[in-house]
Amino acid sequence: MDRALITEKLTTIFRSVFNDQAIVLRDDLTANDVANWDSLSHMLMIGEAEKEFSVKFKLKELGKLEDVKSLIDLLEQKIQSK
Amino acid sequence: MRSNSTFHSDVLTPFVAATEKFASHNAFCINGVFHSYRQLAETISAIRAEVKKMGAADNNVGLVANDDLETYAAIFALWFEGKSYVPVNPDTPAERNRNVLQQAGATVVIDSSDQPLYTEFNVVRSKELKAVAINLEPLPFDDEERAYIFFTSGTTGVPKGVPITRANLAGFIKAFFDLGITMDETDKCLQMFELTFDLSVMSYLAPLLKGACVYTIPKNKIKFNYIADLLEEHNLTVALMVPSIIHYLRPYLDEIHCESMRFSLFCGEALPLDVTSEWANSIPNAKIMNVYGPTEDTIFCTHYTYNRTGENKASNGLLCIGKAMNGTDTIIINENKEILPANEKGELCLGGVQLTPGYWKNEEKNKEAFFHIMYNGEMTRFYKTGDLCQADDAGDIMYLGRIDSQVKVQGFRVELSEIEFYAKEYLDKTNAVAIAFTNQLHNTEIGMVIESAEFDTKPMIEYMKSKLPSYMIPTQLRFINTFPLNTNGKIDRKVLKEKF
Repeated sequence: MDRALITEKLTTIFRSVFNDQAIVLRDDLTANDVANWDSLSHMLMIGEAEKEFSVKFKLKELGKLEDVKSLIDLLEQKIQSK
Repeated sequence: MRSNSTFHSDVLTPFVAATEKFASHNAFCINGVFHSYRQLAETISAIRAEVKKMGAADNNVGLVANDDLETYAAIFALWFEGKSYVPVNPDTPAERNRNVLQQAGATVVIDSSDQPLYTEFNVVRSKELKAVAINLEPLPFDDEERAYIFFTSGTTGVPKGVPITRANLAGFIKAFFDLGITMDETDKCLQMFELTFDLSVMSYLAPLLKGACVYTIPKNKIKFNYIADLLEEHNLTVALMVPSIIHYLRPYLDEIHCESMRFSLFCGEALPLDVTSEWANSIPNAKIMNVYGPTEDTIFCTHYTYNRTGENKASNGLLCIGKAMNGTDTIIINENKEILPANEKGELCLGGVQLTPGYWKNEEKNKEAFFHIMYNGEMTRFYKTGDLCQADDAGDIMYLGRIDSQVKVQGFRVELSEIEFYAKEYLDKTNAVAIAFTNQLHNTEIGMVIESAEFDTKPMIEYMKSKLPSYMIPTQLRFINTFPLNTNGKIDRKVLKEKF
């Protein structure tokens, strides 16, 4: 799966979890930029991403997430090593 | 057992001793940066000098609650000056914060923000002060004076103030260390709470009285992730948390192994036994305690220690809240305010050294919430918690639920009626009901059912966000043509709850 497709699928998840159809994923997008991005919605988003891409994150991996780019990098790496 | 603690002997004296004895030790780790006790003492002294210059006649001083050394130092500066702090969260709508500051009668606000937020007040810009000689000599003060006022959700859209006196706080500190919780200059303690939430007070104050280091959480971080990192990278030894943190961490508990943890306390929400048992495996050397209490009785006032090897007292899978701490009295009463014997359900009431003198300038609420009753041969003042409880023969108290419509979200007290108040204010004649429900992560979430055909709710939510803190904003919305009614003719909230 290439980055474009990951981004596309992730966009759908973000729009649904954060309840905002206008969200556009940029590499440097962080929790500060999205109104409803808090601990709860973060967990829901992570859960949805795990389901969609059939991967399981480790806590340490989640702790290193800084922005959308790092999330896509992690997903890409997880999907490749499946 | 009554404590004879004073704010001077139990709070200020040990704090000053810690700043002298452990001057080069770390007092804080804030956003990865360490600050020593000497730096803390210098910052306190500088803020103190400025507060003195302002010559504020009023006792209550506003404090913009940022995550930095200056904000914590300001608290102590005010205490040494004989004043109390009224914290406001800069992320909360400004109108609500202005209401809080005005209610408290504050004329001075201490603010470490780059741009001061409330310019109509006299502002002490705590990040831009000149260094002065260290001065930690307290002004003489009365222990009946306030240490702080925290404002909590009120039913009519106006936050209500809970003043806590110096005697209340000294009583708490004494009772807290009486629990056998030991700390010294090697301890590393978590402070995960907003400074507008009173669990923060234990989290920063207890460690600073012993020369320990306080680890805070930057505002823009995902809390449970950051806590997990702190546990692993810094080997924390003491942590007070809300149970929702371990709910979030639950899928990953097998990755957490923190041998350094010695005391793990939970407060703010009911603590389920099953997740506690899983958490216990991640912190094999820690004593786990469930503590309970409302802001009105100073941070917390009952305690129960989790038993690692045997049975635990629980009700509906929720760990018991245990017995009163030293200096606190607990009774359970019926609707006629008669004290009930063991094993009978009723409303838990609290009295003793930690009990607030009453809501800030709110006689009506005070009449509702506080009363006097003959207890152990003395007329004693008690506070009605609104919590439905039952004590067993050993005196251990089980929490069974709320009597009214107050709920806890991430540990914050929320009056559902206050959320409804602002929704209805926006909707104008359309009815709306706020519902607290448990989501798939076992955390409390706020939903709202609107008696209307479906419409775009974004403007309504935006309006509510301009009035209420973020944890009070409904995350899920439903529509219904007509609200179902129960046999008493009231809106059947139970039926509405099933929609979530």
